[in-house]
Amino acid sequence: MEDVTYSETQDDLSRLLKENAAAERQPIYPLGGGTAWQYGYPRTAPGKTVSLTEINQTIDYPARDMTVTVEAGIRMCELGNLLASENQRLPIDIPHADQSTLGGVIATNWSGSRRFGCGSMRDYLIGVTAVDASGRFFHAGGRVVKNVAGYDLCKLLVGSLGTLGVITEATLKLRPIPESTAVLWSSFESYEALDHALDRLTLSQARPVALDIFDSVAAGDVNSAMPIDLPADRPVLCVGVEGIAREVDWQVSTLEGELARNSVKEVVTCRNDRADSLWQSMTNYVTNVESPLVFRANLLPSKTIPFINEACASGFSIQSHAGNGIVLGHFRHELPSADEVMSILSKLRETAVQASGNLTVLSCPDDWKSSLELFGEPTDAWPLMKKIKANLDPHGLLNPGRFFDGNMPSEITGQH
Amino acid sequence: MTSQHTSRPTGAVSQELIDRFRDLLGEDGLLYEPEELVVYECDGYVVEKKAPDVVLFPTSADQIVEIVNICNEFDVPFVPRGAGTSLAGGCLPVGGGVMIALTRMRRILDVNIRDRYAIVEPGLVNAHLTQHLKGSGYHYAPDPSSQGACTIGGNVATNSGGPHTLKYGVTVNHVLGLEAVMPDGSIVQFGGPTEDNPGYDLPGLFVGSEGTFGICTKVFVRITRDPAAYRTLLGVFETVGDATHSISKIIGAGIVPAALELMDQGIIEALEAAFQFGFPLDAGAVLLIEVDGLESAVDEEAEEIVELCNESGAREVRRANSPEERQLLWKCRKQAFGAIGRLSPSYCTQDGVVPRTQLPEILDFIADCGTRHDLRIVNVFHAGDGNIHPIMLFDERDTEQIGRVLAASDEILSKCLELGGSVTGEHGIGVEKIDFMNKLFTEDDLEVMSKVRDAFNPERLCSPSKMLPTAGACGTEQIERTHPGRRAAL
Repeated sequence: MEDVTYSETQDDLSRLLKENAAAERQPIYPLGGGTAWQYGYPRTAPGKTVSLTEINQTIDYPARDMTVTVEAGIRMCELGNLLASENQRLPIDIPHADQSTLGGVIATNWSGSRRFGCGSMRDYLIGVTAVDASGRFFHAGGRVVKNVAGYDLCKLLVGSLGTLGVITEATLKLRPIPESTAVLWSSFESYEALDHALDRLTLSQARPVALDIFDSVAAGDVNSAMPIDLPADRPVLCVGVEGIAREVDWQVSTLEGELARNSVKEVVTCRNDRADSLWQSMTNYVTNVESPLVFRANLLPSKTIPFINEACASGFSIQSHAGNGIVLGHFRHELPSADEVMSILSKLRETAVQASGNLTVLSCPDDWKSSLELFGEPTDAWPLMKKIKANLDPHGLLNPGRFFDGNMPSEITGQH
Repeated sequence: MTSQHTSRPTGAVSQELIDRFRDLLGEDGLLYEPEELVVYECDGYVVEKKAPDVVLFPTSADQIVEIVNICNEFDVPFVPRGAGTSLAGGCLPVGGGVMIALTRMRRILDVNIRDRYAIVEPGLVNAHLTQHLKGSGYHYAPDPSSQGACTIGGNVATNSGGPHTLKYGVTVNHVLGLEAVMPDGSIVQFGGPTEDNPGYDLPGLFVGSEGTFGICTKVFVRITRDPAAYRTLLGVFETVGDATHSISKIIGAGIVPAALELMDQGIIEALEAAFQFGFPLDAGAVLLIEVDGLESAVDEEAEEIVELCNESGAREVRRANSPEERQLLWKCRKQAFGAIGRLSPSYCTQDGVVPRTQLPEILDFIADCGTRHDLRIVNVFHAGDGNIHPIMLFDERDTEQIGRVLAASDEILSKCLELGGSVTGEHGIGVEKIDFMNKLFTEDDLEVMSKVRDAFNPERLCSPSKMLPTAGACGTEQIERTHPGRRAAL
């Protein structure tokens, strides 16, 4: 990686981009905490890496309005501490919170276990400021929780991987920190039994905020990192609940009863420190495991179990946010040849596409990326996305070639 | 303004064009006689009117593709319309042309409980989806007060809210995917029944685009688990100030009620005359507060709210003691606008938003504004979200009063901006508030938005002169400015 430029203020960043656009027109590679640096296609052209980590001021925190406006370079743990001082939070689970920045989380649309009950970044970002490739600031949304004026560019920027604008400031809707929390876990002899339990949870009397699955290998990893005795020879389901103390107590006893009516090996309830440990494991698992090849699949929740079965058989360990149909896979063996990996991934992707979803490669050796479709099977909507990119960044300066269109042949896109 | 925003002259609707549409849709698939078109000259915003040249009633996406292709061939503008309950002129056919009414596309195509989604056609009435889901343990959360008439396609266009969006979020938080006919006649699906599809969040961008990106033909919506229990409270306050103080206390205490609505004395009077609920006529304001969730939690939350209201000087806090009483309270709230006819021959409402802690300030300003302009203004609104709906009462036969209403509206919305808010929380920009876009956004912001629109709608034949201001006066001279709005449902 070449030298990183640290802009100190939003205006500095705007100036830098303005000068670049007027003169050398080098590609701009925005950088947050660097925790997702592997994500996307590698750079194909040298350019300027611009770090946002110094642009990290709190602009306004009217806690009683339950909104906060901060600069995008703020670290997630600092943001979390700030909000906790008012007993509030952004309920999105982010690994490496000490490093990752809010801007990076928005750009990659990261989320974790609580998304089942709490939603994801698109549900919390209510205002945004960004700088386009020519150095111009643009804004959308505002600082109020309800607002339909203008196009919702907040949604457009969430998950845009820095390709449409460099996010410099964000306003978030917040939630109170719940009084109490608990995680229950059960292991199952078979995936069929687990699937049956998930199906019955659709009409649970409780209202879980997380429904996570670990396969046996992943359960073993969680155990070695934390003092939790998950069995390491069969799949485990973790069910998280939150709320006021009485509500959590009631949900725990309700779920203990509901889970026990399935063919489970056990139902174990974690409260207090043990619950916190398990929540942390669920959040950090994806980055704690060393793996040369990591994917994220999104599919119909009802189709996750057959998919997980297939992925495990292909050598991946699995964590799944099963209520949302999100499956994270880590390859746990020495990598076979590129051809073999492509064949494994294309089979899994086909299964995901059949289940109305797709499969994204989060990390793999750089020299393989050009031959893999990192962002999955192209859809009818891609040419339109490409048009939006071309209209907002006509010279292709922002993170060029790193996102979904990175190795699309031009005849597919119809543009550029 | 830059040339980016300029609109251009377009073709006229000819007999040949009408014949082509008749061939496509049959005689009962279109309206074109002037007296039949009157209904379609406006939505709930009646200040500006313009009838379309022809209204079409397609029954399938394929027919819409054909319609759009014909419009492109004849260079004629087209605009989609749901039930016409919108309040900002979002479906006003500026410059005339073709109106595509989606009310005959109202099927529920799929409901999947395990995967928590439903697929519906855009003309489906909002309440019909929840009625259909009754007994399944799930419902469709967005509940605009007009939900008995408004369509889900219309909700997508305006990103509609409703009382319960305080806890559950607005339409965009419940839309997973869309199928749309693009302004070039192609059919594209964005997103689908699954979350986090790779690429940009086009469903998120499309929701709230007020018909300017294309014509939605199918919506994939998220369905939500029913709450197990409700507690519905009515806090009675001597003054509006005491009521808004309670709102700050409730939100500040970290309680997120399912709904938190304020009604002031003027509206209470009208509601009592209409429904005889037993509202105290001498109260300055009432708060309609609902908490929902698990049976084990709602009592504690309700107790806490009662205490906070009492601390803010509530005269009393009543509880709805039965499902029937709860239903009647909500009926009163949702039909509040209908009851206003008892107070005044005409009325006009606004849709500003302020940070919740600024509610006392904006309500004082509204009262003051009423005095200065010698107008009676009553309030019923989504207090928990800071989304105000001041209702100005007037007589539309008096043009001098109309001038005062327009001036007061403008002042109130400008004050919302000054307090860090917005000019619309849920009704949309439409044509009504288009002049505020320059105040809300910089020229650069509008330029970026215009480029985004160009990716979808480069020829601007689809819903022209909406959302983004056009250069000069293009568009607005083609509609008739009459008097401030008097019908509304929010």
